[in-house]
Amino acid sequence: MNVYDPNEIDLTPYLFFTGKGGVGKTTTACATAAHLADQGHAVLLVSTDPASNLQDVFQTSLSNKPVAIEGIPNLSVANFDPVTAAAEYKESVIAPYRGILPDSALENMEEQLSGSCTVEIAAFNEFAHVLTDKTIKSSYDYILFDTAPTGHTLRMLELPSAWSQYLDENTTGASCLGQLSGLGDKKDMYAHAVETLSKKDLTTLILVSRPQASSLIEADRASQELSQLGIMNQLLILNGLLEGADDALSSAIISQQERDVKQMPQQLQSITQYAIPLRPYSITGIDRLRAFLTDKPVEAIQMNQSVTPSATLQDMVDDLIQSNKNIIFTMGKGGVGKTTVAIQIAQSLVQAGKQVHLATTDPANHIHLYLNDTDKLTISHIDEEKELADYTEDVLSKARKTMNKDDLAYIEEDLRSPCTQEIALFRAFADIVDRADEEIVVIDTAPTGHTLLLLESTQSYAKELERSAGEVPISIQKLLPRLQNPDETEVVMVTLPETTPVYESMRLDEDLTRAGIAHSWWLINQSMYAADSTHPVLRARAENEVQWINRVADLSDGRFATAEFTPEFDTALTK
Amino acid sequence: MTKLELFEPAMCCSTGVCGPSVDETLLTITSVFEGLSQVSSVEASRHNLTSDPDAFVSNQKVLTLMKESGKDSLPITLVNGEVVKSGTYPSIEELTNYTGVVFVEQSESSSSCCGGSGCC
Repeated sequence: MNVYDPNEIDLTPYLFFTGKGGVGKTTTACATAAHLADQGHAVLLVSTDPASNLQDVFQTSLSNKPVAIEGIPNLSVANFDPVTAAAEYKESVIAPYRGILPDSALENMEEQLSGSCTVEIAAFNEFAHVLTDKTIKSSYDYILFDTAPTGHTLRMLELPSAWSQYLDENTTGASCLGQLSGLGDKKDMYAHAVETLSKKDLTTLILVSRPQASSLIEADRASQELSQLGIMNQLLILNGLLEGADDALSSAIISQQERDVKQMPQQLQSITQYAIPLRPYSITGIDRLRAFLTDKPVEAIQMNQSVTPSATLQDMVDDLIQSNKNIIFTMGKGGVGKTTVAIQIAQSLVQAGKQVHLATTDPANHIHLYLNDTDKLTISHIDEEKELADYTEDVLSKARKTMNKDDLAYIEEDLRSPCTQEIALFRAFADIVDRADEEIVVIDTAPTGHTLLLLESTQSYAKELERSAGEVPISIQKLLPRLQNPDETEVVMVTLPETTPVYESMRLDEDLTRAGIAHSWWLINQSMYAADSTHPVLRARAENEVQWINRVADLSDGRFATAEFTPEFDTALTK
Repeated sequence: MTKLELFEPAMCCSTGVCGPSVDETLLTITSVFEGLSQVSSVEASRHNLTSDPDAFVSNQKVLTLMKESGKDSLPITLVNGEVVKSGTYPSIEELTNYTGVVFVEQSESSSSCCGGSGCC
């Protein structure tokens, strides 16, 4: 596999970097931009990543307008935060009615505008602006985006209903595109943006992945979804390959990486691949940015930071036992190791003599590879796909009776939104949590605060309709108060000691707080710092974790535990 | 001409597919209003709090009711500018009383043959 060097590749004017949080897509995008600019090309880098640390990387204060970077002639950077934009949008809708409409009505409106879809649409809006701006097009040779639109957003925009009555009449406002309502005049801009994305000579999708099974599976999913939408021009970058084993941990990592890369999904294998070695430093400052895609050593920065001491996973479990929790969720974005943490918690509880039920979204037969069945532990599988399929069919069979074809197509796409997936899953939670009267229930995924609030508002509202519509199962009605009760519930925030995962967890955390869900513990998973390797690259990575460990210590008021890095943490779960 | 207005709470979609269960009342309301759009003697409209808050503020009767009992007063139904129902959706029978239009539930087979909205 060739080492990634943007100067050796024929690149298109528009480059989109995509990948799950923590794979290094912002870093790769920044380094690519710097290299192209150093070759004399006029380059614009646009960030729409809410966790973007571009200001630190370039040591320049940025805004949503292109700012020239001192020290890299030819490079301009624009930083657009879709979370802030979505919040501003929400405020602009609600502000005129403060003091006029009652508070309960304003809260009701606010929650409807707080979904993840609003953020996605805000990001797409920014893509569309840049992609269709003629001045930008003529001023730059290359325009790089450190995120890419999701398949769901693109499919939504292609539906005729997205642009007809659903948005314009306002009466049938739908969930995901709510933010676009009244913007029918932007239709041409969106259409042009979508068209640009699918032109091979204009746009390249650069998939960034860690050389690790779960990350590669995620890249494969994104690759297939976007190629089905006509974005065929794709590259794969494997970021973080380790070289030169010198202790047990580093040689275990190297063999895990080699095996996972060799066994990557077949369709992904057909995409041109490049590698970036694991660097012993994080990207702050222009020198390091320029060094990232070369083998040049960088000067060590003396960190001199002391790390906040943390609890162990066992300490955390002891605390959960002592405080008599019987509903324990592990929460975090994909790839942070929620399932392995849930398994470890379940095992520790069993060792302490507790009766435990472990419910997992990973296929249960794989979990059995880890766990010996005992009379103390039962395991069940939440089949996300099946839950979603059941829910979708439930909705569509009813919708078919009354809706025309275009509106039905819209509902079908709406049902593919992340919000719908959560709601479908929620119905499964209710049944599992019901078991918590007799045993401790550990669940490896948790509902977001947004879903809970959304359901709460539809629930009280469904109660009023009970005679005609009352279909809300009793277990769901009981669920919300239980999750809000800190005497029995704990949602453990699982994160990694890296920029994006910590930012993502902060957002989930705020969301839970908003919904009043009981949560106090944080768990930092896969900590290289805790693993204590002798390998120079791994040691340097460990140093970089310190700031994020300290950040989590702050966020959790010191209630956090650390689990050390293990190379195989996701392998058995993805097979 | 009868003017029928419905003021609804904020929800993620008018069909109610986003709740913990599918809300058939909302699906019915959606198809009734679609049907009414083809009846010339009735002017029917729906206003959703999130997407159309102006409609709530500019209607004095709706605003007064909301100030008295908060969002629990929603949905509010108005016929010719007068509040006829608050807190729950009107039933099919009530809608017939308001508008003089009789609604017939279409059979499954007819919906698949024309893929329509009860208009064929």
